[in-house]
Amino acid sequence: MTEVTKTVDYPVLIIGAGVAGMTVATELADSGIKAILVERQLTAGGNALDLYRAFPTDDCFYCFEGNRWRPGIRKCFYRSALIDQPNLDLRIGTTVHSISGRPGQFLVTLRSAPQYVDPKKCTLCGVCIEVSKAFSFPSPQCQPQCVVFNPALEDDRAKEAAQKCPTNAIDLDAKPREDSLTVSDIVIAAGYHEMKPSSIDEYGYGRIPDVVTQLEFAKILDPNGPSGGAVVRPSDGKPARRVMMVQCVGSRDENHYPYCSKICCVFALKHAVVAARERDCSQVLVVYMDIRTYDRHERYYREARESGVDFIRGRVSRVEAGKDGGVDVTVYDSLLDRYLRFSLDLLVLSSALEPAEGFSDLLKMVGLSASRGYVTPLDIATEEEVVVGAGVYACGAALGPAEVPESVTQARAVVMKILAGRR
Amino acid sequence: MAETDTKPRIPVTLIEPIDMSRLDPSFREEIRSMPDADELSACFACSTCTAACPIANQWLYKPHQLIRMILLGMREEVLNSKEIWECLTCFQCQERCPQKVRVTDILFDCKNLAAERGIVPEKIVALAKELVDKGQLYVVTADWEREDLGLEPSVPGLSTEAVKSILQGTRTGRLTKGGD
Repeated sequence: MTEVTKTVDYPVLIIGAGVAGMTVATELADSGIKAILVERQLTAGGNALDLYRAFPTDDCFYCFEGNRWRPGIRKCFYRSALIDQPNLDLRIGTTVHSISGRPGQFLVTLRSAPQYVDPKKCTLCGVCIEVSKAFSFPSPQCQPQCVVFNPALEDDRAKEAAQKCPTNAIDLDAKPREDSLTVSDIVIAAGYHEMKPSSIDEYGYGRIPDVVTQLEFAKILDPNGPSGGAVVRPSDGKPARRVMMVQCVGSRDENHYPYCSKICCVFALKHAVVAARERDCSQVLVVYMDIRTYDRHERYYREARESGVDFIRGRVSRVEAGKDGGVDVTVYDSLLDRYLRFSLDLLVLSSALEPAEGFSDLLKMVGLSASRGYVTPLDIATEEEVVVGAGVYACGAALGPAEVPESVTQARAVVMKILAGRR
Repeated sequence: MAETDTKPRIPVTLIEPIDMSRLDPSFREEIRSMPDADELSACFACSTCTAACPIANQWLYKPHQLIRMILLGMREEVLNSKEIWECLTCFQCQERCPQKVRVTDILFDCKNLAAERGIVPEKIVALAKELVDKGQLYVVTADWEREDLGLEPSVPGLSTEAVKSILQGTRTGRLTKGGD
């Protein structure tokens, strides 16, 4: 056989184990191609892990169209694939250090954080967590299903916890690892990060404890979250009954991010509906300049109005800490041409979605240019949208803010391209 | 059907709309060509400027409405408005504008255009006169604050002659002579 077939044997590198990266990795693996899925965090899942419910089906995102190909298996599609699929090599706590070589034969160096807990041995018995604060369980949905050890929190009892582990899964002397390998294709699925809006002073984020971002609010709504799904004020843990959301915080703003972050209107409305219908919130308000519920998501807007959510077309004038906790907010209502004052328990900012941390360095490594921070397709025509370089693909929020179904569709397009290239 | 032409026009609506044909579409371009007004048409009417303005609650025309009026070509209404002169020039609107529209600067441009046409409130003319005559608006006096700040107690001599002579040759100077 010729050399061409040889390169075809190389695995595919997927950077980022969020919705998009996991889809590419599992589907490539199912098609018989070795996939190396690299994730900087200690658990796969990305932002979607914190979303509580994902639109448009309001399911846990893991089940997104999930079991379609695996009837009869009640186990979660992604969970089983990420851990049990032999072609899929999930590397958590790992970053890409360098990329060189040429399309079809990229040389990649990966750096992995020490693996203190062996996910194959960990049984989630919780003994270590009881003994030492340095051990924690990130989320009931985390993959691999494994306790994590944070060396920054290491205390005197960490060693004791390691000794008490019934399966000897803990190795506190674990060392960081560096691997060099050859891959045929690179898939960039580094996702997005929610901007911390502390630089926009007028909203008081970081200064007033009851001002939170929309993803922080998702955690408050999450039954698996710290408050058990009860809507509470971060300042004092008291029930939050009056909630206001502000749209376009840092998005569509030439001083921050000029683009529309695209999905925040929909997830704000989703959260507004949950707060109004399923929680004890007596007042839910959304301050907006334009509501952009593209595509089929208009129904969330209607549902929100039917649920009694109040919409105020205007902008926030002033935000001050309330006398007994909470937030006092003055809003200019541009339709009424009047200023409105509210006493609220919680102010939720729909903050801009920005590229993942270190994303521009990653792009430089691959020799790609960024457009408004995100990766630019070679050809903007839709079917080629996922091709960003020779042997390099991107999907999900690496191309710009994207919803879950869109990320999955793009991920599948990447899989098709890679499979087509190997025929 | 000839007689229908002679009948008085029955209004279609009870509220008389602004007759767009009577507005001046060139006003937008005129403002845009003035200093720091080039981002004028970037305004997407979010009303952040009005939310930020500390004085707009008592204005008939709010800052975002003034920008809208400029874009529509409402030259007379804008240049004759009291609002452009009451602007505190705190620059809050301009600082917060998400589209980098230099709202305060545009209000300055409007003031300049109005002044060119001699539309200046009396009190502003009085201030201008004071400035041209004395070379300063407020006479600085010695007081306790200087000591608190560790400055010498008496105010050093302030030369206003140069300021006065410069102002004579400016529009401010011309305004105080009853316009040109």
